[in-house]
Amino acid sequence: MDLVRSLLSRMVAMFQRRRLDASLDEELRVHIDLAIEEQMRRGVPEAEARRLALREFGGVTQVRETYREQRGLPLIEQIRRDIRYGIFQLWKSPGFALTAILTLALGVGANTTVFSMINGLLLRPLPVPESDRLAVVGMQFGAPNPNYSFPEPLFRAFERRHGAFSTTFAFNHTTFQVKSGASTENIQGQYVSGGFFDALRTVPMLGRTLNAQDDRKGGDSAGFAAVISETLWENRYHRDPAILGQRIVIDNVAFTIVGVMPRSFFGADPLQRPQFFVPLADEEVLAGERSLVKFGHRAWWLNVMGRLAPGATLEQASKEVGAAEGAVLREAVQDADWIKRTEQERHIRFFAEPGSTGFTYIRLNFRKPLMAVFAMCGGILLLACMNLASLLMARGTARQKELATRMALGATRRRLIQQLMIEGLLLGVTGTIAGLALAPAVSHLLVAVLLSGHQQAHLDTSLDWRVFAFASATAVLATLLFALVPAIKATSRNLMERMKDGQNATRTIDRSGILPRVLMGAEVGVALLLVVGAGLIATSLVRLYHDGMGFDPRGLENIEFSMENSGLKGDALMSFYREMGQRLSHAPGVTSVSYELMTPLIGYQWDEDYNDTRGAVHDTFMNSVAPAYFSTMRIPLLAGRDFTWDDTPSVGKKLILNQTAAGQLFPDGPALGRTIRHEERKKLEVYEVVGIVGDAKYADIHSVAPPTGYVPMPQNDFVQSASFVAVVRTNGSTGSLMGTARAITAQMAPQVPVPEVTSMEKIIDDAMGPERMMTLLAVFFAVCALVVTAIGLYGTLAYATARRTTEIGIRMALGAKRSQVVAMVFGQNLWVVMGGTVVGLAAALLVTRALASFLFSTSAHDPWVIAASICALGLAACAASLLPALRAARIEPMAAIRCE
Amino acid sequence: MGENKPDILQGTLDLMVLKTLEAMGPLHGYGIARRIEQVSGETIMLNQGTIYPALLRLEQRGWIKAEWGKSETNRRARFYTLTRTGKSRIAEETRNWERVAATMALFLASE
Repeated sequence: MDLVRSLLSRMVAMFQRRRLDASLDEELRVHIDLAIEEQMRRGVPEAEARRLALREFGGVTQVRETYREQRGLPLIEQIRRDIRYGIFQLWKSPGFALTAILTLALGVGANTTVFSMINGLLLRPLPVPESDRLAVVGMQFGAPNPNYSFPEPLFRAFERRHGAFSTTFAFNHTTFQVKSGASTENIQGQYVSGGFFDALRTVPMLGRTLNAQDDRKGGDSAGFAAVISETLWENRYHRDPAILGQRIVIDNVAFTIVGVMPRSFFGADPLQRPQFFVPLADEEVLAGERSLVKFGHRAWWLNVMGRLAPGATLEQASKEVGAAEGAVLREAVQDADWIKRTEQERHIRFFAEPGSTGFTYIRLNFRKPLMAVFAMCGGILLLACMNLASLLMARGTARQKELATRMALGATRRRLIQQLMIEGLLLGVTGTIAGLALAPAVSHLLVAVLLSGHQQAHLDTSLDWRVFAFASATAVLATLLFALVPAIKATSRNLMERMKDGQNATRTIDRSGILPRVLMGAEVGVALLLVVGAGLIATSLVRLYHDGMGFDPRGLENIEFSMENSGLKGDALMSFYREMGQRLSHAPGVTSVSYELMTPLIGYQWDEDYNDTRGAVHDTFMNSVAPAYFSTMRIPLLAGRDFTWDDTPSVGKKLILNQTAAGQLFPDGPALGRTIRHEERKKLEVYEVVGIVGDAKYADIHSVAPPTGYVPMPQNDFVQSASFVAVVRTNGSTGSLMGTARAITAQMAPQVPVPEVTSMEKIIDDAMGPERMMTLLAVFFAVCALVVTAIGLYGTLAYATARRTTEIGIRMALGAKRSQVVAMVFGQNLWVVMGGTVVGLAAALLVTRALASFLFSTSAHDPWVIAASICALGLAACAASLLPALRAARIEPMAAIRCE
Repeated sequence: MGENKPDILQGTLDLMVLKTLEAMGPLHGYGIARRIEQVSGETIMLNQGTIYPALLRLEQRGWIKAEWGKSETNRRARFYTLTRTGKSRIAEETRNWERVAATMALFLASE
């Protein structure tokens, strides 16, 4: 109680220092006056009375000091004085302060930026009540990477179970066509199961959420129900208070709006901002022929999450779903053969993992690259700290006189270290603030790159407490790293001795210069590591671009037609496409046109099992294409012929194989002209191989071109789809293509929505999103590393040279040539850089192996990259040494010696 | 500290100040110092200045409070008064001091 009270009054006192000082002075003056008066009343003369009074009192200054110490918080007052002194010190050397702050801003800014992305993508919890009770359900399914897509029947089997989960729910993000007046508009929405809103527990702004009643075939008795977002309510309905009960026509089906969700709610995928939610059961009605629910266990498309039942733990839930896999499969899937194969060959296993941050696919792709970039950022920060440490050390040496004077005046070593640390902290805080100010702009830029392949996605990288906590922790840690050692070093040894030394002309090797040089060497090593890493990543990207997709992406455009609701089928559909192709080929800039069912590299795949001539089964990737496809894509036709429009169902099934597929399916000789058998829907079909083409990449840009078979567009009865993608080869001037495509569709099929045009180069860029981001960041950080290192090398060398002015003067007076002086100064950095390079090289050989998984046809020890990195570093070092060397060469011997 | 005056224990001075205020009522710093000197006669001599940190300490604990007022010679001075907490603390502080004194006495007697 007493303690709290006095602490409080001490704190209050700190803010009223001036007033309290005046009050104390007056009190003491009164005291002494009263004492004098009393002495004089006894008859002592005034001068003697004053002397006696002061003697009685003791030391006035001392009392005042003790009183002040008692009054305030001495440590804080001292720190305040130190801060003021520190600011003054930094103000006196603006060049040093600016360098330090910039270096640090770069280090902290880079880290905060990347951290705020990691925060937005990986750490920030969903803004729903008790998000920590949510879990994501996934499975191991053949491949080494976990799979998070579920077929609808499998999810329904989960939904019916109750145990460790109180609710399980599924969702899928889709683009829907929403009628608005005469035109249709593409709007982002989500299919959600009945338990979705129950599990996410967010209260709607208006009306109600969707429930299990809505999520039944045919909807509720009142018809199909939909919940819309506040954004849609605002943009489309102008916040109409009578919105509930109104109709919204989605994919030609009328839905009744039953509720409006607040803007803060976006469901369970943190990167999506769906405009409305419709029940999962309505997918069959909305998607019609393409319905994924109808495809049953063959369509893998739903993300499944659950809310843990009260008292249940995640481990329990994971164990439970893990143990239920057999039962779940049997309950969900009727096809016994499929279950048997799945259980035997793919070793399916379900699991539950923490779901407080929701689920998004982008996370799976970007987690690793982001972490790699984060490590790189750590390297930059380390570099910045080393740089500052060596700068501060050099500065400490230059400030010896000042420090020695203060020590002579009675300052303890602790006080001096405290003072130097506070100066460091000042730099740290300023640098951090500068870095934080930069971070949002940079992270916006990065997010744009990161999400370039996902136009609808939305990543919130705003600064929150986690980012601030991270930045502060980084700043404190950085300060400790860069300020403590120099502070201890600067105050070590006998300062008085050193003060007497001054600029010592006789001591050529300054022992105190070794540590900064070791530090700079280490810095060079770290910088080399970063540069080599960046070089490898960049080389890999360039090779990925150039090493051939198997087709020529330059000038290639894809036009996607949504023909599902056109009602066209069979021959009518084919002649429609043929006519459309003809019109498109007359468009300006277009040189050839064809069609494909699967656009390469956007991630979709369609595969079928074929038996080779020896009976072994081969998984073959498939596509359905129109005539002139290979010439349009510039995939070489190696043997045989291309498809023609006459390859109709009536002339017998035709097939074109790529080289790899041909070799795999016909291991005993040339494939051309031979036939292959394939079972489709319990019916045996015989295919004649009419052509062999070159290998081209299929769904995944990172893997080699898979065995691929092509069937002619009119003969495709595998995939029920009326929507094909036009592939258009242009001579580069594609500006009008969008308009042409729009005009042609408006003329030929006014009922279908506006086609979407995407360039192949854009698809490739998107497919390489993580690599592009990594490369961009890696190169950026490598340049930063070079700059920071160059600044460091320059700074330390400039200090060291300045301190050797006299020595250099004497050397010159004794006959050293200016070129020799330049060489000598240059040599100093040379040794540092060479030492650092050796260390960095050794480290690089060890560490870059961790990068191997990111690299495409590039060795982690690529000699060219390493050589180029060393050259770049060498150049930076030379640039950094130039100015100090020239300055040394300009020293006038006589002037320098006279100074001594 | 002072040339020929022995330093006094902190707790002693605090208690002396409290007792003085209890006996004399509101008093300024000089008055308190003089009173302590007078009561202790020549046995304890204190640097008068040292009572100011002690006064501040007691004020911070809330045992005494201070106000500017007029002295008997019509001078502006800072007057110290016991607070209610201060009054109630005197008994306890006295007991504490007696315990210390008794312990010291035992030690000195054992020799």
